[in-house]
Amino acid sequence: MTLFHFFNCAILTFGPHAVYYSATPLSEYDTLGTSVKAAVVYLATALVKLVCLATFLQVSETEVFDPYQEALKAMIGFIDVAGLYYALAQLTHRNISQNHKFQAVGLGWAFADSVLHRLAPLWVGARGLEFTWDYVLQGLEANANLVFTISLAALGSLMWLRKNKPKSLIPIIYTCAIIIATMPSITSYLKRVMGWHFPKIVGFELVTSLVMAFISCQLFILCQRPSL
Amino acid sequence: MVDEKKSKQRHRVMVFESMYPIVALMLILVACVELCDAATVVDVYRLIQYDISGVPFGSRFSSLNHHAASLSFQRGADLSRSVLILPLRELDIGFVQDYISQKQSLGGLLILLPQTFRPGNIGGGGLSSENDGFRKLLAQLEKILVHGNIPFPVYFAFENEETDAMLADVKKNDALGQQATATTGGYKLVISVSEPRKIASPTITNIQGWLPGLRAEGDSNQLPTIAIVASYDTFGAAPALSVGSDSNGSGVVALLEVARLFSVLYSNPKTRGRYNLLFALTSGGPYNYEGTQKWLKSLDQRMRESIDYAICLNSVGSWDSELLIHVSKPPDNAYIKQIFEGFSNVAEDLGFQVALKHKKINISNSRVAWEHEQFSRLRVTAATISELSTPPELLENAGSLSDTRQLVSEDAIIKGVKLVAESLAKHIYGHQGKDIKIFADDSSLAVNPFYVRSWLDLLSQTPRVAPFLSKNEPLIMALKKELEDYTAEVSVQHESLDGSFTFYDSTKASLNIYQVASVTFDLLLLLVLGSYLIVLFSFLVITTRGLDDLISLFRRPPSRKVKMG
Repeated sequence: MTLFHFFNCAILTFGPHAVYYSATPLSEYDTLGTSVKAAVVYLATALVKLVCLATFLQVSETEVFDPYQEALKAMIGFIDVAGLYYALAQLTHRNISQNHKFQAVGLGWAFADSVLHRLAPLWVGARGLEFTWDYVLQGLEANANLVFTISLAALGSLMWLRKNKPKSLIPIIYTCAIIIATMPSITSYLKRVMGWHFPKIVGFELVTSLVMAFISCQLFILCQRPSL
Repeated sequence: MVDEKKSKQRHRVMVFESMYPIVALMLILVACVELCDAATVVDVYRLIQYDISGVPFGSRFSSLNHHAASLSFQRGADLSRSVLILPLRELDIGFVQDYISQKQSLGGLLILLPQTFRPGNIGGGGLSSENDGFRKLLAQLEKILVHGNIPFPVYFAFENEETDAMLADVKKNDALGQQATATTGGYKLVISVSEPRKIASPTITNIQGWLPGLRAEGDSNQLPTIAIVASYDTFGAAPALSVGSDSNGSGVVALLEVARLFSVLYSNPKTRGRYNLLFALTSGGPYNYEGTQKWLKSLDQRMRESIDYAICLNSVGSWDSELLIHVSKPPDNAYIKQIFEGFSNVAEDLGFQVALKHKKINISNSRVAWEHEQFSRLRVTAATISELSTPPELLENAGSLSDTRQLVSEDAIIKGVKLVAESLAKHIYGHQGKDIKIFADDSSLAVNPFYVRSWLDLLSQTPRVAPFLSKNEPLIMALKKELEDYTAEVSVQHESLDGSFTFYDSTKASLNIYQVASVTFDLLLLLVLGSYLIVLFSFLVITTRGLDDLISLFRRPPSRKVKMG
């Protein structure tokens, strides 16, 4: 039952996005437009990243961890952050509270990321007769990615949209944001240098995403309180 | 406010409705399940499928799409939708015989052969006693399979790591009693080929080379001729693996080397003998030497009558101390005595023995066991030089699966070449009784062991079942070119194979091995994911909207009628 497996993996990969949208107050305030705009910004960012990667990166045949290449990849990864800034700060949204804005942007961003990176392999691979755990793990990775993106959007909105922040929390906010933004480099380091296999990496991503979400949640709440 | 909401809802419904055709198209696309991307792909070779006068033999089907099973299945289990994987190492001939004779239904049979039987495998410990045991087992198995009418596909494959791992897994599962079916997962073997079709008009190709002798004052047609013949095609259980190194690759190599030696001798008019030499590579050997018969009939009658005698070579590659000369004329015939004396004198010089064996031809029996019998039926004196002592049965000893390169020793072929060449030379140049060695080992006319080895290696990697060889097959072109180098005139004759043999195509395929998960696994996964999503939903509703909202989702709003009433 291969189509069955495809269906299972699809709902694992894309289900949480739909659930998030319908469960939280986002659906009540009709923030679909914001999410769609964030998805379009993600597409543009992905295109720019692709062009930069193609121009500056050398393709190595072996799976060797080259620090310079990885540093270059991380720098290009910051284009992601710039895109998120554009989506959060520069685009005009309807009157939505900040609380919901970052959630909607994060959701749209993560959904576009999942579709772009995971739909094609899923469609081609999961429908075959051969059974592998890869697509289930990929779905779990998509879930972790969703949490990461929403945390990053939260921290981003704290950084760029909120003007009055307690001074002591600023460095923590920036540190967390940098950690989340460089997650791809960290995972590739783990895969190549430490030789971790896919299941282990996905487990690590899930745990880290929950930790990061908790931290950014706490930071957000702390910044909500008027500073005195 | 209410009106706005209602119009918005109507708009949304219309948008959804307009998407129905797109959804339908997506569903159709989704329904095409692709069977690509198997983790393991193995080359497999099908058992031959043929008819003799309409009676079917061999495996009658070719495509396969079943779960794998091994010999450790529970007794009485239904194997009609499974493929049985039998490694040669653990083969039980009685079991296979029972299965086929009782016509029990089986989804398919996959026989795993050790790597030593692979045609390209030239090196590596071929003649150990373990391999001898395998060869005997393989010969028995082939006999059962080739002469039986098998209603399921039978394939041969070579063992490798992936098949070993799969077999170990399948055995483990079978031992636990969990036979692989659609609901319990396991391995699925898929070979997707079209149904086998009859080969329309199979051709057999004979190649002959003519080396004229020294004409005196008359014309060359009055010179006597000596013919040297070998059949080059094979027949075996798996036509794509039928390389026949000994039967009859060794004969072909010996013929080519003798042709080379005599072409050197005949190139100089001073050493050209007063006999013409006719070299023929015939096809259709396993089918009662049909090619030889057709070739002989196509020869000009004068040429046929000028043939003094013919030497046929059949399996001269794995003998040690005795070579046999088979004749159909009685041994006290003067010609036969002369020929035999010549051969045995040379053999004595070379350090081995030859023995004469006589088998009468039964005209009413259509079975032609030796090639020389086709000559004898047309009143030409002929003999077959072979290491085989008993005449082979129909479709036996013609290039079976166990007849690989390791079975053949170049020394045996070289000794055979020396025997034939020296005896012919003694007859041609009239040196009978004299102790002269023309093809001595260090001379310019020595037998070339590298030539023998390279042709033997080539033939041991080329399957040569005649119906599957096209008219311009590279091997036939190569043999023709080789004879063109050594003889003056070469002609190629294409004939069609006799109507009583019919062959079917589809001899080689790719086996895809898929590891499949059972339906119960998919259902379980669906259950887990469903509950995960529900938990996620409740968690998010509780944390963002509060518990009351979650409960209110499940309670219907109070009906308006009550309010209005």
